[in-house]
Amino acid sequence: MKNSKIKKYIMNLTPLLGLAVLFAAFLILGTVQDINISYGLKSILSQSVVVAVVATGAIFIYTLGSFDISLGASTAVSALIGGIVYNKTESLLVMTLVCIGVAVLVGLFNSVLASVFNLPVFVTTIAMLSVLNALVLVLIKVNGTGSQIAVPAAAVRSLNNTTFKMVVLLIFVLLCIFVFSFTKIGRMQKFLGGNPVCAKLSGISEKKMAIIAFVMSGIGVGLGAFLSIVYAPTLTRNTASSVGMDVIIAIVFGGMPVSGGARSKIYAAVIGAFSMTLLSQIMVMFNLNSGIGQMVKAAIFILVVFLATSGQRGKMLPR
Amino acid sequence: MKKFWALLLTAAMMVCVLAGCGGKDSESDNAQGGSAGTENQGGGSGAGDSGEDATPELDMSKTVKIGILVSDATSAEALAFRTYYTEYIQKQYNVELIYSDELADAAGEAAAIDTFITNNCKAVISFSSFDRAAQIEQCEGVGVYYAVATGTLTEDEYETYKGYEHYVGAIGPSLSVEFETGYNMAKHYLDQGVKNFAIFGGAIPYYTEMHIYRAAGMLTAMIDAGGDGANYQGATDMGGVLGQIFADGEVKTGAIGDVNVLGYVGGYDMDDAWFGKCAQMAQTADLEVILAVGNGSDFFGTAIAGTNVKIASVDAYASSYGEAMEAGMLDYLAGKFSASIGPIFIATYRAALGSPIRTADGNAFALSQGYWVASSAEEFNTYYAVDSSVDAPAYTKEMLDTLLTADYAAFESFVSKYSFEEIQGM
Repeated sequence: MKNSKIKKYIMNLTPLLGLAVLFAAFLILGTVQDINISYGLKSILSQSVVVAVVATGAIFIYTLGSFDISLGASTAVSALIGGIVYNKTESLLVMTLVCIGVAVLVGLFNSVLASVFNLPVFVTTIAMLSVLNALVLVLIKVNGTGSQIAVPAAAVRSLNNTTFKMVVLLIFVLLCIFVFSFTKIGRMQKFLGGNPVCAKLSGISEKKMAIIAFVMSGIGVGLGAFLSIVYAPTLTRNTASSVGMDVIIAIVFGGMPVSGGARSKIYAAVIGAFSMTLLSQIMVMFNLNSGIGQMVKAAIFILVVFLATSGQRGKMLPR
Repeated sequence: MKKFWALLLTAAMMVCVLAGCGGKDSESDNAQGGSAGTENQGGGSGAGDSGEDATPELDMSKTVKIGILVSDATSAEALAFRTYYTEYIQKQYNVELIYSDELADAAGEAAAIDTFITNNCKAVISFSSFDRAAQIEQCEGVGVYYAVATGTLTEDEYETYKGYEHYVGAIGPSLSVEFETGYNMAKHYLDQGVKNFAIFGGAIPYYTEMHIYRAAGMLTAMIDAGGDGANYQGATDMGGVLGQIFADGEVKTGAIGDVNVLGYVGGYDMDDAWFGKCAQMAQTADLEVILAVGNGSDFFGTAIAGTNVKIASVDAYASSYGEAMEAGMLDYLAGKFSASIGPIFIATYRAALGSPIRTADGNAFALSQGYWVASSAEEFNTYYAVDSSVDAPAYTKEMLDTLLTADYAAFESFVSKYSFEEIQGM
């Protein structure tokens, strides 16, 4: 019994241990190869932050046992509209609020659409992905040069530093932890994700929880869009194109169960995002071309997920 | 037990992959080290005899890391460039070239440059152009040299950045060269009496300037050959045609005097509907030639089988184009030659070694370079034999070594002689 608890404890810590191992590997290899470790750490934080913020918000959706495939496109649309608004108003505050507002609206639209048509949320996000991708092209064509929408680099240069980005991430993570772990919303979402039948019979509204989850996710997407502009103020049709997939990988890499439920954790997104970027940096140190690098990353990904979930498989409640 | 074996197998797989990679690196390092050793024995230059005399003041004993930004890792052009750098340049000079993943946006470029800086790259050569200004600013901020390969900055960008200490310069087809390329392609057929064309506009819908300029060149050639009153949507000269394409985001079909543009397809949607449009355009009645601003034979080659329609493309020298020419699916190719990126490497390498090339005014250089044009399979094969060689490419080490100590005038003169015949005569 005691061994079982210890094993479970270690398994829960696997993603964190994975991050620690990757960090140690980065430091050791970096020292051996005499790389610029301090710059590397800053760039890892900088590169991870958009995925970390978006993924942290998305945890609320994943906790319900659902998932949103349109997060990357939503980030792009929010960033583009934010960029357009900045070019009209020259106000960073307005731009930030617009980014968040647009992303929340997209999330709300997803969840309301799912409620109206009584469809799984995942299905509506697939439809939304197509709509948002088309909207990206329209926005760039109508409001940009045809190939891009550019916010003046000078306007956001002062914010493009590690400290600012980490502060934004920290505030959002703390907000999510509060909602997730210190309010009944978090508990209801875990219950709904773990056993939807039982949760509904207990009076928990699936639609209400879905709307809350998408609002929280929308805030994350909006902040991610804002940070995307800060990092690269020239926005094109491919802006944030990899964010959607990176978010899914980061969440799973961080030890979040794809089935959602009681084992869901907010910090999984942050751990996963930083682990992914560290892994990419290590691949570069080996000067692996992208093909081999992707294969190595895939193998490590499977290993981490296998370890993180090995104590949990077969214990899923009936759905 | 199952878990144990699964873990063991995964771990073994990881160890094998990483060990294999480590081995490759070691070999590479050894090769470079060997090269460096030779250099030391030979007087501190590259692995050839000529280097001893050519580069007395450059210390090339240490391996220089250079990051390569790429937004395209799979096209014939991209593969040819990569082969020249990795299979020839990297083996001839004491450098380690670190390639980025295939970049899709400006954020990817910034992240890749961050990674290069982390890995102590002394310079970056960029084949990616989502936000060149940001790339230059980022490199300047950390003291890493930056060069543009196969492209140019806009005039405004050049004026802004030419004085930056770490901006090396750019070598590639200027927009006027792109215009001429399209013009000459259309003129080649107009001179033969061809009247009925279709145009593949490539990235015109995405407002990619080089494609717009090539298409404008084609249309301007048609205006010049179309007789009295010939015009394109009211435009009669280069500026007017360019403005019209920028306004429309596409090429309009219709008559240009007595020359006809019978069809147009743009974009790279690559879905069934798009390929259907391509096939439909290739089957247009009376069509004689498809002028492509990029790769035409891959998209229209099959559709023209059994017809007399000819295809003209702009891309690079790759075996697939030779096969297309032999099979009658390609008639004309204006192609970049892979070694064209040799001089920008030397300029970047020199900068990283502390000897940058600057213009007489002390600014970064902006040099134009054009294409090799083949209008028959024989001509293509002649060019391709040289271009694809990793033993004796168009620009060999012996030729490039002359640039290691060249002043700007000599460097400019070297780059300006880019035709096949001029290079063979060097």
